[in-house]
Formats: sequence, C-alpha cells, structure tokens
Amino acid sequence: MMLEYLKYGAIMLALIIVQKTLIWLIAVTSYEITPDLVIIGLVYFAVKKGKITGSIGGFASGLIVDIFSFSFIGLMALSKAVSGFAAGFFNNQQKIERYLNTYQFILIVTFCSLINNIIYFTMYFQGTNLVFADVLLRYIVPTTVYTALFSTIPVIFARRRRFTR
Amino acid sequence: MKTLLSYLGNLKEYIIFSALVLVSLILIFQNDNVQIRFVRVIAVNVIGTLQSGFSIIPNVFELERENKTLRETNINLSKELSMLKEAKLENLRINQMLDFKTRTNYRVASGKIIGKTLIQTRNNITIDIGENDSVKVGMPVITDKGLVGKIVATSGNYSIAQILLNKDLKVSAKDQRSRVDGIISWDGEGKVRMKNVSKSADVQMGDIIMTSEYSNSFPAGIPIGFVTTDGTLDNLFKNIEVECFVNFENLEEVFVLKYLSDDERKDLEKKFNEKTK
Repeated sequence: MMLEYLKYGAIMLALIIVQKTLIWLIAVTSYEITPDLVIIGLVYFAVKKGKITGSIGGFASGLIVDIFSFSFIGLMALSKAVSGFAAGFFNNQQKIERYLNTYQFILIVTFCSLINNIIYFTMYFQGTNLVFADVLLRYIVPTTVYTALFSTIPVIFARRRRFTR
Repeated sequence: MKTLLSYLGNLKEYIIFSALVLVSLILIFQNDNVQIRFVRVIAVNVIGTLQSGFSIIPNVFELERENKTLRETNINLSKELSMLKEAKLENLRINQMLDFKTRTNYRVASGKIIGKTLIQTRNNITIDIGENDSVKVGMPVITDKGLVGKIVATSGNYSIAQILLNKDLKVSAKDQRSRVDGIISWDGEGKVRMKNVSKSADVQMGDIIMTSEYSNSFPAGIPIGFVTTDGTLDNLFKNIEVECFVNFENLEEVFVLKYLSDDERKDLEKKFNEKTK
C-alpha cells in the first residue's frame, strides 16, 4: 500500500520535473501554450484511489509546481486540489478499468483540466486588461485541448497492453 | 457521539478537501502581487456591499446604544456650545474694554463684578479687586460706556462701589452742549435726575450729560447719560430725567479709575466754608 503511494509520488515528481524543464520544447501559439502533464497523472491516480488521494495529491503536486515557478504560491495548489477532488468522483470500483483505459479517460482529463485551468488562469490574470473571454480563448481552452491530446498517450498504451495480453 | 463521529467519518473527504482549499487560500493571500491586490479590492467591495445591504435591517440594541451615545454627545456639545458663546461674549466685552483702556488718560484697574444689588434704594456692586491692586476709597468706577459709581469700601482683594442708582451718591454734572451745570442723583425709583437746573436753563431732550469740573470725586468729561425728560418741577427748577449710558442690569466688568480728588482743593474749600459759617 505504502509502496504503491510512493510509486505514485515518484511518478508525479517525474511529471512535475518534465513539466518544469522540458515541456517548453512543445509549446504552441504565441501565448506559449503547453500541455499539463501533472493533471494527467493526477487524474489517473485520483480515479484509481478516490477523492482524498486526488485532493491531497493535487495540493502537494500543485504546491511543488508553485515552488518551482517562484510566483503566486498556493494558486496551482488550489486549482490542482480542486481538480484532483473532482477526478475522485470518478473513482468507482466497477468502472475504474473503463475510465482509465478508454476514451472516457480523455473526457475526464478534459473535464478536470478545464476546472484546473479556469481556476488558475482566471485568478492569474486578475488585475490585467484581459477580460474572461480573452483568458478563456487564449489560455484556458487551448491548454485544456492540448492536455486532452496528451491524455490520449496513456489510453493508447493501455489499449496496446490489453491487445498484447 | 458515535453517530456524530460516523457522520464526520463519512464527510472526511470533504473535510480534508475544505482544509486543503483553506490552506491554499491562505497561501495565496500571503502573496503580494497585482492579482492578489485586485482580489482584495474586490473582496472589500463585496463585503462593503453586503454590509450596506444588511445595515437596512434595524438592530434594536444597536439603535438603543447609538441613541444613548448620541444623547450624551448632544449634551456635551450643548455644554461646549454654551461655553463658546459665553467666551465669545466675554471676548467682545474685554475687547471693548481694552479699547477704552488705551483711550483713557488715567491709569485704570479692571475688575469683575462679583456681587450686585439693584432692588434697594442704596445699591452697590462688589468688585474682585482691592487694596492689593491699589484701589482706594473715593476712586471713580466706570466702563467704556460711562460712569458707574464710586468706591466706598475696600479690602485686600475686594472693594464695594456705590453706583448711580444709590440715593447717597451725588455727582456734579453738566450738559455737554449748553454747558449748564447740575447735580445728578437718584431718588430711589425711576431714572436718575439732574437737579438744581434753573427753569430758564437751555437743556433739551437728547443732550448728553457728563461729569463737570466742579466735582471733587470725578474727573471732568465722563459721560453719564442723556436727557429723556425735560419738564418743570416747580417755579424755580426744571425736572430733568437722565437715562444712564451704563446698563446696570447686565454690567459684568468695570474699571476703577486711579484718580483721587485734590486734597489741597478739598482743604481750602473746607476752611472757607467753616469761616463763612
């Protein structure tokens, strides 16, 4: 049990490091939109383990991202905790396999990423000239779509693994 | 208790989530950047709007307390206003007196009236200056308006003066316009009168009456009042009523003129009178 959580923690840490170091290589549009790898991992573990794991994992990973980015401490922790908690609602023993290994995972990631991005970017652009529509079109939707695209990778791997079996 | 614990156990996911959100918000509000300042402004506005909305609902206890405080404030302000009005009037009076003090040729001592009788036939005033202020018996008492009376008794710090409304006080006076002489005195009722004025003398209503050079007690030229009635007393003399310039009813401050009659003149007049007897 403990080992399992340590494994999740290590994977999340690895995702955070990649997110903060290499992800800029695949940034798109003039607004430097990047996929959120951390939320993909977070949704995966929250669906598997439930709301408590989702919210605590989201808070901890968000806080680490905040610390790495040296600004606005607590904002990513809040948005990730909320989206992790939301992902925990899909924790259903009978449907875990379906949620994690089919296109439904992409939908859950899209949903949770949208929550995460709405909280994060809305707060982040407070006090600037950007209105919510601008923030939505320039940052929230592109980031959500880009993250959703990346969430197809674990689904593809899972399907291949299933076919191999 | 067990039910409560089990209920809380069911809610533990939400409790943990709420705690995490709270911690996140605390961390967020520790930042001091543009976004947080903006959020703070919004929060203040929202709270202010809510408070102003709720303030419509009257709070009876709060209103009672507010009423009490307002009543107390009202009383204090009334007291303060009254004191300020008093100070303003005093200031005006003292300014007038100071102006007079610079105009007069004699040295003066200013005093406050601390006692007054106006309902008897021998009326006096008590002043808060006395021998320690070089006040002596016989000195004239005046105001910027005119003659008040004469000092008749002194102690270290107080003195008593006869005023014009005193049967015992007699003042040599003259008409400023026609220079007709007479004696100002009071009969114990009504206005003061100018006596010993012959029927043929030129005295008109409105003429100003002032102290004359014949007076032993007062320097000449101190205004006393003006003629209000010019009638006939008998076959020889006129009945002249004089309205004093000084209003004894509201008199509060006076000057004691440091003037004493000439002793040499007094002695001479006394000796002559004795010889002629």
